[in-house]
Amino acid sequence: MQRKPLALAILLSCAGLAPAAHADDAKLKAEVEALRAEVAELRGIVQQMQAQRAQTPASTAPAAATAVASSAPSAAVSAGAPAASIAAPQAPTTTAGQPLPGTGSSGLALGANTSLWGYGQIGYNRPTNSAGDTRADLSRAVIGFNHVFDEATRVYGEIEWEHAIASSSDQGETEVEQLYVEHTLAPNYGVRVGLVLVPLGLLNEHHEPGYFYGVERNFVETAIIPSTWREGGVAMYGNTESGFNWNVGIGTGPNLGAWDPAADEGRASPLGSIHQELQLAKARDLSMYAAANWQGLPGLQLGGGVFTGKIGQGDAALPVNRSRLVLGEAHLRWQPGPFDISALYTRGTISNTQDLNLQFLGQPTPVPKSFWGGYVQGAWRALEWGSNSSLAPFLRYEMFNTGAAYAAQPQGLGTPALPTQRVWTLGANYYLNPSVVFKIDYQKFRYEDLVLGYGNRFDLGLGYQF
Amino acid sequence: MPIFRSAPRAHALSVLPDVACSQPVSAAATRSGRGRWTFFVVALALIGSASTVAASPSTSALADLGRKIFADESLSASGRMSCATCHDPKFAHAQNNALAVQPGGANLDVPGFRAVPSLRYLNVDLPFFFAGDGTPTGGFNRDGSANTLIEQASRPFLAAHEMANGDAAGVVDKLGRASYADEFRGLFGGDVFARIDDAFLAARYALAVYEATAPELRPFSSKFDLFLKGKVKLGAQELRGFAWFNSPAKGGCAGCHPSTRASNGEPPLFTDYTYDNLGVPRNAKIPATADPDYFDFGLCGPDRSDLAARRDLCGAFKVPTLRNVATRKVVFHNGQFTSLREAIEFYVQRDTNPGKWYPLGADGAVRKFDDVPAPLARNVNTGEVPYNRRPGQAPALSELEIDDVVAFLGTLTDGYDAATDTADPARDLAQP
Amino acid sequence: MQVRWLIPLGAAAASQAAFATQYLSVQQAQQQAFAGTGEFRVVPAPDAAVAAAIGAPAGWSPQIFAARAGDKTLGWLIVDQVIGKSEAITYALALDAAGAVISLEVLEYRESHGGEVRMPAWRRQFVGKTASDAAALGREIKIISGATLSCRHLTEGVQRLLRLYQTVLKAQA
Repeated sequence: MQRKPLALAILLSCAGLAPAAHADDAKLKAEVEALRAEVAELRGIVQQMQAQRAQTPASTAPAAATAVASSAPSAAVSAGAPAASIAAPQAPTTTAGQPLPGTGSSGLALGANTSLWGYGQIGYNRPTNSAGDTRADLSRAVIGFNHVFDEATRVYGEIEWEHAIASSSDQGETEVEQLYVEHTLAPNYGVRVGLVLVPLGLLNEHHEPGYFYGVERNFVETAIIPSTWREGGVAMYGNTESGFNWNVGIGTGPNLGAWDPAADEGRASPLGSIHQELQLAKARDLSMYAAANWQGLPGLQLGGGVFTGKIGQGDAALPVNRSRLVLGEAHLRWQPGPFDISALYTRGTISNTQDLNLQFLGQPTPVPKSFWGGYVQGAWRALEWGSNSSLAPFLRYEMFNTGAAYAAQPQGLGTPALPTQRVWTLGANYYLNPSVVFKIDYQKFRYEDLVLGYGNRFDLGLGYQF
Repeated sequence: MPIFRSAPRAHALSVLPDVACSQPVSAAATRSGRGRWTFFVVALALIGSASTVAASPSTSALADLGRKIFADESLSASGRMSCATCHDPKFAHAQNNALAVQPGGANLDVPGFRAVPSLRYLNVDLPFFFAGDGTPTGGFNRDGSANTLIEQASRPFLAAHEMANGDAAGVVDKLGRASYADEFRGLFGGDVFARIDDAFLAARYALAVYEATAPELRPFSSKFDLFLKGKVKLGAQELRGFAWFNSPAKGGCAGCHPSTRASNGEPPLFTDYTYDNLGVPRNAKIPATADPDYFDFGLCGPDRSDLAARRDLCGAFKVPTLRNVATRKVVFHNGQFTSLREAIEFYVQRDTNPGKWYPLGADGAVRKFDDVPAPLARNVNTGEVPYNRRPGQAPALSELEIDDVVAFLGTLTDGYDAATDTADPARDLAQP
Repeated sequence: MQVRWLIPLGAAAASQAAFATQYLSVQQAQQQAFAGTGEFRVVPAPDAAVAAAIGAPAGWSPQIFAARAGDKTLGWLIVDQVIGKSEAITYALALDAAGAVISLEVLEYRESHGGEVRMPAWRRQFVGKTASDAAALGREIKIISGATLSCRHLTEGVQRLLRLYQTVLKAQA
């Protein structure tokens, strides 16, 4: 784009088309054409400036200045949206945000560089055989924020309330679900430092209720991959144009010293019972993870990852410091037409648990040597109303075992492997619009659920995200 | 830090009334009352480290004094009874005879009411409180009636069936003539014995510091401790007993006597500091039981008075640590059993074979839970392992398994010597 | 020992200067879409009535260039913005003279989340689509999981530009 002084353009514009007199001069003619184009462009800019001035007087000057200085028809053209509409936050060089297209709004701009988003989930679980255990729960309400420091640097955070009320005498929790500073090093890779989500599985990083089928998150990605699983540390991520995404990190890991052999938690979710969530996390031993996904064919996602680290954390009183956790995972998601098919398998091992379990002899929950889970799920967007509403029935089959094997113990005192749990879930997500989902499902358990203390159940739920 | 904030004064004793004054304040300021003791411990730490506080007694000086008071028989009306008489250090600071209750008083002929607990491994930072789910927890004495060691130390000095001094003046008078009286004055001021309440408080304070800090009261020197550190292996029978002890399908003992480390990171203490109602049979060897209307209800009285209205708590006593339990000469709050094996048999056979443990009533039927009036029998724990059984069912532990558990409990005795595979709590006392 | 891994990572982070996350300039997008031919004339942004008619929000103001060769309209390049998850995506949609999509380019993408919309394989799904396909696009375009919002919003952006063609640009051809 040529750079011409604004004054010259205005002068030429006032002079009209005088050069036409030399119509026989081809060179001149071309020049006139160029000038004409420029005048039209400048007219456009002037119109925009006028429009901006009319809408948001305060922001006019800098916006106009940038537009003129770059002289390019920069993407940033319209000034702030009316207050009621939702505008984009802007990187410092972007002169203005723009109202969102149509529906599916996401986020709320708070000033030029900060935005808020959120999601929430309310559920109703009714066991078919023990109605007294029926519960209605505001499972979670989350507020997320994002602040842009400069073009390459931003902070992301999510604050979560679980079970509606959190106090010392209530059962709810308030927690920071993620909080990290991200610095983009190049257009296609960057670094994050802080409390980051472990990029394993389909659910952990994308756990908003609209993204998964069923009222509750699947069991495999809560019992084996303890979503929402986050660790403190440094992560690097990137992607290629061919559709390959990668994410590697180093940071905190679980704390095996926190294992409670007398409680059920370790059987409900081995890693869920010892992950630290950056709450005064014991951090002598660093863990590492690496994950990759290929999405080069739209509608197809193939991926996997591994998380590993020693998890003794230097505990001097327990024989835990030789123990290493390895958790691997592979997944597939395929969305042909109205169908949405996914499958995931994950398996974890904890090494050198024999001495620790000897101290837990006879206890109900020793540390497992291995645990695993997998599921297949098919969903079908069967009905649609307009472009926003849809109904998607789904069926999911899960198998998982949180104590698939235990280290050997003296004769007769070892712990037998737990039976493999199998759960069928049949249900439907009804999207009132892409941001609001109503859910219904029925879950059939092979065994009573350890945590819930009952078997089959019927669930209703509401989820939203913005 | 109110205790010794008046450091400019010549001697520390002048601040002792502050201790008394501060107690209600801090108790009111903390919901569970726990803060009071924390506060005390912090104060101790400060005392120990703050060289600027002139004339403040050091922790070790206080503990040394406390140790002397603990062993001083001259502080009793009889002149023959000290704390250590009942809490014999050689027997893990518990009684050294198999009497259900110890005799006290001026002539050592007044019988007591409860068996002597071990003073080892007390949780010094846990006043009595009701946990979030209503579970009574913590406190000192078998009924949790004292919130601090200082508070607890009054009764043995004064009670007619113990050292029988009657009042503080009686104690202080004897302290003034003790061999360590000068040491006492040096710590608390030359005129300390002229001020009865201050001196009595100071003596109990020294005792409390001793009980809270003396290494011989928390030696962690058992075979089990060495096993946890990976230094010795448990034998096959001990391991089996450990498994039965822990297993909810067997003894389920670890439910109240946790064998995993405490929340403060200490090695396991084998008590969760809660209270339970076991329905232990009435012990006729306690003279007070001659009166058919006499009942020791623990939490709800009669010794403890503040929970008298909580009839649901009648019969509940504190869960003791099982460390050194094999050295106990009598077991349970009323000293009903004189062997550990018998006590374990009672646990697992109480409900499967009640006739073995309880007398027959006038109607010829077994009078189960005979140490509480019939209406309160429902307070007895019958829901948890190993009690949840009926007559005729197999006990939670077989005879062989009981032997295993006894063997395991033997590993909890302090003063383990690997060379001989024996343990003796007296070995922890090898110090000045 | 694992700590030493952090050192090169930190050094890499420290040595990087801030940069603009612009992938293509408007000129590059123009040249690419129309194979370096033609000249580009700015077409005034649609007025509020048109914006409302095609379902765009108030204040909407895309950059529209008509690509011309002599008197012949080759097509249009329209630069617009939508929100990804929480920040703006600047994109350029090139239409041929008949209103069919020649290409969709992401000019600026600011978030790290959802950046998969930059993948050529995803963007190619729009090639050849016309205004008559607009309504169905929401169903036809495959969503990249993990980039749901960016995909959805970019698709909606394309839909409204196709409607803009139908309403305004078609008559100018």
